[in-house]
Amino acid sequence: MISRTLKHVVLALIVFIWVVPFVSLVATSLRSELASKTSGFWTAFTPTELGHRFSTHDRGLDEPVLSIDGNIFDRINLTEEDFPVSGTVESVLFKGRVADPENPGKTQLIRKLVPPGEAMSVRDGELVFQPNGDYILTFDEPTIPKPKNLDVFINQDPVFGAAAYEEVLLENEDVPNALIASFIVTIPATIIPITIAAFAAYAFAWMRFPGRDWLFVIVVSLMVVPTQLAFLPILQGFSGIAHWASSLNAWLTDCELSNSCEVASKSYASLWVTHTAFGLPLAIYLLRNYIVGLPRELLESARIDGANHLQIFVRLIVPLSVPALASFSIFQFLWVWNDLIVALYIGPNNGEDLVFPIRLQQQLGTFKDQLHLLNASAVISMIVPVVVFLAMQKYFIRGLLAGSVKGG
Amino acid sequence: MAQLQLKDVNKSFGDVHVIKNVDLEINKGEFVVFVGPSGCGKSTLLRMIAGLETLTSGEISIADRLVMDLPPSKRGIAMVFQSYALYPHMTVYNNMAFSLDLQGFSKSEINERVTEAAKILQMEHLLDRRPAALSGGQRQRVAIGRAIVRDPEVFLFDEPLSNLDAALRHDTRVEISKLHRQLGATTIYVTHDQVEAMTLADKIVVLKEGRVMQVGSPMELFNQPENEFVAGFLGSPKMNFFDGQLVGSADFQGDDVSAQGARLVSTEKSAGDNVKLGIRPQHLVIDEQGALAGNVTLVERLGTETILELLTPGGTLFRFASAESLDVEVGQDLRFSFDAAQAHIF
Repeated sequence: MISRTLKHVVLALIVFIWVVPFVSLVATSLRSELASKTSGFWTAFTPTELGHRFSTHDRGLDEPVLSIDGNIFDRINLTEEDFPVSGTVESVLFKGRVADPENPGKTQLIRKLVPPGEAMSVRDGELVFQPNGDYILTFDEPTIPKPKNLDVFINQDPVFGAAAYEEVLLENEDVPNALIASFIVTIPATIIPITIAAFAAYAFAWMRFPGRDWLFVIVVSLMVVPTQLAFLPILQGFSGIAHWASSLNAWLTDCELSNSCEVASKSYASLWVTHTAFGLPLAIYLLRNYIVGLPRELLESARIDGANHLQIFVRLIVPLSVPALASFSIFQFLWVWNDLIVALYIGPNNGEDLVFPIRLQQQLGTFKDQLHLLNASAVISMIVPVVVFLAMQKYFIRGLLAGSVKGG
Repeated sequence: MAQLQLKDVNKSFGDVHVIKNVDLEINKGEFVVFVGPSGCGKSTLLRMIAGLETLTSGEISIADRLVMDLPPSKRGIAMVFQSYALYPHMTVYNNMAFSLDLQGFSKSEINERVTEAAKILQMEHLLDRRPAALSGGQRQRVAIGRAIVRDPEVFLFDEPLSNLDAALRHDTRVEISKLHRQLGATTIYVTHDQVEAMTLADKIVVLKEGRVMQVGSPMELFNQPENEFVAGFLGSPKMNFFDGQLVGSADFQGDDVSAQGARLVSTEKSAGDNVKLGIRPQHLVIDEQGALAGNVTLVERLGTETILELLTPGGTLFRFASAESLDVEVGQDLRFSFDAAQAHIF
C-alpha cells in the first residue's frame, strides 16, 4: 500500500515538474506583452488588479456640451484590440488641485484613489463612474472640454490572445522558414536511417553470413561514440567532398563565368548523412532485437511458401514490425527535431535555412525580453513533436514493451 | 515407385550426431507417422525433408527428383507447423493465397484454389477473418488449408495437434484422417503420441536417438515388434518385461515366469544367453493355476479399463489390464497365465 501511494506521489511530482514549464510557456505566449512583462504566468488564470489608462473622450469636440458619458472598457479597448479588457472597475486615480482645508484660499496637489460612485473633479466638471465602467462627466454650463487621460485600476478578467503567434508567424519569415527547414532536415533524417536499419536488422536477425555476430557487436558498440568526438573528422570529410564537388562542377559546367562553382560543405544533405550515421546503431539494435523475436516458424513457413529474403522482409517482417519501426521513428524524429549542436556545426548556416533550434537560439538575442514572442516560437517548435508523439503513442508504448509481453 | 526416398541420411549439429543412417521409402498416398520420444530426431528428419535443415550426408528424393539442393518451395512439399505459423497480419484468404501469389498465379486461379480448399475444410465463412479472431481448431484448419492450396507431392505435419485440448485433438485427428482419405495425398506426420500414430498411420516409423528402430503398419509393430524399444514404446500400458535365460530355441526360463514356444525376436541370441520376456498387460489372464504370481500394489480404474500394478515374488514390477471392472484390492495375491504365442523374447 505504502509503495503504491509513494508511486502515485512520485508520478504526480514528475507530471507536475513536466507540466508546469509547458503551461508557463503556452500561457505566456498567449498573453499581452505588457502582462507578460509585469506579472508572472500564474496570475494569468485568475482576475488580477491591473492599471490601465483611458481618455475621457476623443479630441475635436466642436459643440459645447453639458455632459459626456461613456464606458471605461470601451475607451480602453479602442487601443487594446488583441487583448480586450473586461472585469470590474476598482478605482480611478485622481491627481489634481483641491482647496486646501488648512490654508483657506489656497489649493493643494493631491493623489487619491476614487472608488466607484464618488464624484471627482475633471476639467472643472464632475466625473462619476460605476464598477461596470459606465461614467458620466457633467458640467455646470456648456463647455468644450479637452480630453483627459485618467489612470484606472481594474480587477481584470483573464484574457488570452494569439497576437504573439500572428507576429512571429506572419510579420517576418524567420519562424516559417525555420519550420520548413526543420521538416526538410527531420523527415529524411528519420526515414533514411529507419529504412537502412530495417534491412540491416533483418539480415542480422535471420540471414546467415560469416562474421555476423562480430559485425553486430561492432555496430552496437558504435552507440557509445559521442557525437562531439566525431565533429572534426566529419567536417573535414564534408569539406573534402564539397571541394571535390566544386571541382567537378567547374569541370562539367560553365559556372566559372558566373563565379558560382562553390558547393557548400554544410548543407541539408550533410545533416541527413550525419543524423543517419548517428541514428543507425541504436536503430539496428532496437529493430534487430524486435525482429529476432518474431516466431521462427513464421519465417520458415514463408520459405516453404516460396518467399525469398526480400519478399519475407517486405511482406512479413515490415508489417509485423510496425510497432518497433514506429517507436524508433519517434525517437529519431524527436532527436533530430530538437538537435541544436549537429545543425550548428554541420547544417547550412545561411539565414533562410536555419533549423528551428538555431532560430530559437538567435531569437533569444533579437527578442531579448519579449517573452511572449520567444515563447510563441518555442510553442510552435514544440507542437510538431507533440503531435507526432500523440499520433504514434499507441505504437510507441507497444514498441517499448516489445518482446517483454508475448502476443502483443 | 517410391514417392519419397531417403538414402543413408545423416545429420550432425557440430559434434552431435542426431540422425544416423536413415533409409526410408514412402509410397504414393501413404500416411506415414514418425514417432518416438522427444529428442529422437523425428522433427529434425521432417525438417530435412522440408529443406529447412541441410543434410550432412545422404540423399533425399521426392517424386524421383533429388531435392537436397533445392529450396523448400521447390521440393513439392507443404508443411503444417506445431504453432500453425499463420501470418498474423493477413486474413485467412491471404494466408492461403500467399504461396500462390508468390508463384505468380493469376487472381482468378488463386481464388478458385483457395475457395476449393476452404470448401474441403468447411471454413468458407472464415476467409475474411484474421488469425487472431480464430479458435485453436480453426487456426489448425487454416494451416492445413494453406498446405492444401499448394497441391504438394508430400504433406508434412509437425506435431500439429499438440497445441489443442484433448477433445479438439480427437476431433481434429479424425478430420485429418478423413482428409487424407479424401485427398489421397502422401503424408508424413510427426508426433510423440502413440495413439495418434496408431490411429492415423498406414505406416509407422519408430525412431530412437536418430536411428530408425522399426518401420511397419501399426498392427505389425504392435504384434511383431522387432526390438524391446518398439515393444515398450507402443501400447498402453507398457509391455511387461521379465529377466531370464534363453533355453533351447524359443523357450524362456526366468525366476518369476517361464514360457515355451514364445516368439524369439533377436537372431543373435543363443541358448544360455540373458534375455527378456515381453508380455502385453492385455494378454495376461487371471488363472489360479497360472505360472505368474504377483502381489497387487496399485489399482487404477479408468472406467473402460482396469489396470493393476503388481510385484512378483522376485521383485519385478508388471501390469495387468482388463476390460472388466475387477473386484481386487491392494495387497491381494493373484496368479496369471498367458498364451506363449503372444509373448516375445528379446
